[in-house]
Amino acid sequence: MYKKLFIVAVFLFILGLILPGSLRAQKIYLTPSPIPTFSPEPESLPKPDITQKSPETLGPLEEILQKQKLGAVWPTNPIKYAIRGAVKAGVPANTLVLLLLLPLVALVIAVARNIIGIRGFGIFLPASLSVVFVAIGPVVGIGLFLVIVLVSTSVRIIFRKLKIKLQYLPRMALILWAVVFAVLGVLFSAPYVKFSQLTNVSIFAVLILVLLAEDFIRVQLGKSAKTAIGITSETLVLSLFSYLFLTLKPLQSYVLLNPEITLLVVGFADFMLARYSGLRLRELWRFRKLISS
Amino acid sequence: MKISNILGLNARTKLYSYKYNTIVGKKNADSKIQTARVLKKAGIAHPLLYKKFKSLSEIDEYNWEGLPDSFALKPSRGLGGEGIIVVKKRALQRVDANTQNSDRSGNGGMKKLKDVWITTQRDRVSVQDLKLHTMDILEGAYSMGNVPDVAFIQEYVGRHKAFRKYAYRGTPDIRIIVFNKVPVMAMMRLPTKESGGRANLHQGAIGLGVDIATGITTKAIWHERQIRYKPGTNRKLHGIKIPNWTKVLETAVSAQMVSGLGYLGVDIVLHPEKGPMVLEYNAQPGLQIQLANMAGLKKRLERVEGLQVRDAEHGVKIAKALFLERFSDRVKVEEGILTVGIWEDVKIVTAEGGKVKVRAKIDTGAWKTSIDNKLAESLGLLQDNNILWTKVYKSSLGKELRKVIGIKFYLAGRRIRTIANVANRGNLRTPLIIGRRDLNGFLVKSG
Repeated sequence: MYKKLFIVAVFLFILGLILPGSLRAQKIYLTPSPIPTFSPEPESLPKPDITQKSPETLGPLEEILQKQKLGAVWPTNPIKYAIRGAVKAGVPANTLVLLLLLPLVALVIAVARNIIGIRGFGIFLPASLSVVFVAIGPVVGIGLFLVIVLVSTSVRIIFRKLKIKLQYLPRMALILWAVVFAVLGVLFSAPYVKFSQLTNVSIFAVLILVLLAEDFIRVQLGKSAKTAIGITSETLVLSLFSYLFLTLKPLQSYVLLNPEITLLVVGFADFMLARYSGLRLRELWRFRKLISS
Repeated sequence: MKISNILGLNARTKLYSYKYNTIVGKKNADSKIQTARVLKKAGIAHPLLYKKFKSLSEIDEYNWEGLPDSFALKPSRGLGGEGIIVVKKRALQRVDANTQNSDRSGNGGMKKLKDVWITTQRDRVSVQDLKLHTMDILEGAYSMGNVPDVAFIQEYVGRHKAFRKYAYRGTPDIRIIVFNKVPVMAMMRLPTKESGGRANLHQGAIGLGVDIATGITTKAIWHERQIRYKPGTNRKLHGIKIPNWTKVLETAVSAQMVSGLGYLGVDIVLHPEKGPMVLEYNAQPGLQIQLANMAGLKKRLERVEGLQVRDAEHGVKIAKALFLERFSDRVKVEEGILTVGIWEDVKIVTAEGGKVKVRAKIDTGAWKTSIDNKLAESLGLLQDNNILWTKVYKSSLGKELRKVIGIKFYLAGRRIRTIANVANRGNLRTPLIIGRRDLNGFLVKSG
């Protein structure tokens, strides 16, 4: 009982940290999402030329990059030069920053598992979810996830109640069919619900949320609904926490300006973590009766 | 209890699973069909395989009506009990009293349907349902990563009569953690109403800790909480004796020896007639067994690591000697604390079962019990199958390599079963010295 309260408390706490920031319309550019934009005039708008060092064409991260003075390429600066070269060629600095932060997120998730004992659905799913939260905001993200889980569970229950017995893959395909209906419904509500972040929903975000729902269903079938809800909430907590990491401006700047150190330290930390063979914090709680006997 | 006694997930993976489990072993454990193949080759008892389904055409061609009244349909790579249908009997249909073909099976006007069964969850399944389920299994609905799988039909093992009053409509199983050919900890899992007849702790089954030496249950957990009585009843869950316990342990160790896994959990079921059978291997057995026994696994594993164990019998002997539950608290309450002097006459049980009176020194300065080698030899205790291991001992006689044997004796009328190291006590006053380890529940009166 206290475990659940603890998880809910952490969840609300993190939400409390994020909500004030996310409710302001944050414009976050990420990897280009394939949503066609309509231009009012027949001619296409001129692309900003970022090889020109005019201030209006530089994003905040590019500015930071510009401000750093670099020494020789070897031995400590090869990646820094590579980053600048890529940015000059058109690769968005946002993408690079997120890529550089991903190992850190993975490390955080690994530490959360091996030292604290927070389980999630692996490493890939929580890490991808955190990027999804960066793209569409945690509120929309969690909201969509709940919708997907609700719809897929209901469809399964309906099939079972009506005693419709189908083969496995067509059954899964039908569930996905129903889920798409639901997601479309959420998007169609955009004109009525004045929630600016709804427009940021990209197809990748939806797909990753569907992956999460699939894992949820698998655990629900295999173990129990209680376990499924438990592991899913822990995954969400992990993703929200990582989301905070990813959006921390000072961290973004540091990683962009010191990629070599970041990557080395994170790699080293991963190795060190692998050597830890003691009890996890959660296990200290689980075996408390043993320890006190 | 010290924290270092308890096995956590990090230690299980880093110190034991990765180190002692081979890739082949893990493959064997993942596939139930592979497991059955390995067991059959080694001649270890396991529930029979009636039929394997590898392709869709086999499903239609199979004579489903020819199946016995009870069987289990399982996915080979199913995780933790998913996708298993267990049927216990055929469904009955009321027969019209006027029919020409009324059966004489004595079912009281009911005839057995050829193609409908009743599962352990009291659901009806028809041949059509079974075929569909098998197709799902082949599609990978229940396998890890949803990869295509193989389905099979296996012999149904019913509940042993010893557990009739405890298990709800399902078959209890016994999970034994075996490491380096020694069974280190055991837990019996009882199905409950909540678990729907499944012996799965996550789904509401009860876990009973079992004393390795005697096969008697000690403590019980349910939903990670300690309980003493079967839920909803006054039935005690401790003190249940598992029949054929030594054979259960030896079967588990034999199964481990052919598995390719140095550290694993072996699940054993007790067939009412055929005795202990191996149900499956678990390369990553859960840690709840520690809560069920209120004992730490890590300490036991460290004790057993590196020992030279000859065979299953030897491993079981070592386990019984090392991991004996001391019921000393209960004994103290029932019999009271016995007072002994420094010199006592002790009756040692010989290899043949007779008792020999021997003078012993009760020494609280010593930790372990020690016996003179000539005496041990004459009592028949130095035979190969009674020697557990050899170890270096430091004593007032110096440092020496000594054999350790199992020994049973009666002190002040109380039976003590323990281990003793064998030394040359020819120059000492008594051939037997009893140390603190075995003096629980005794008061030593000096002078």
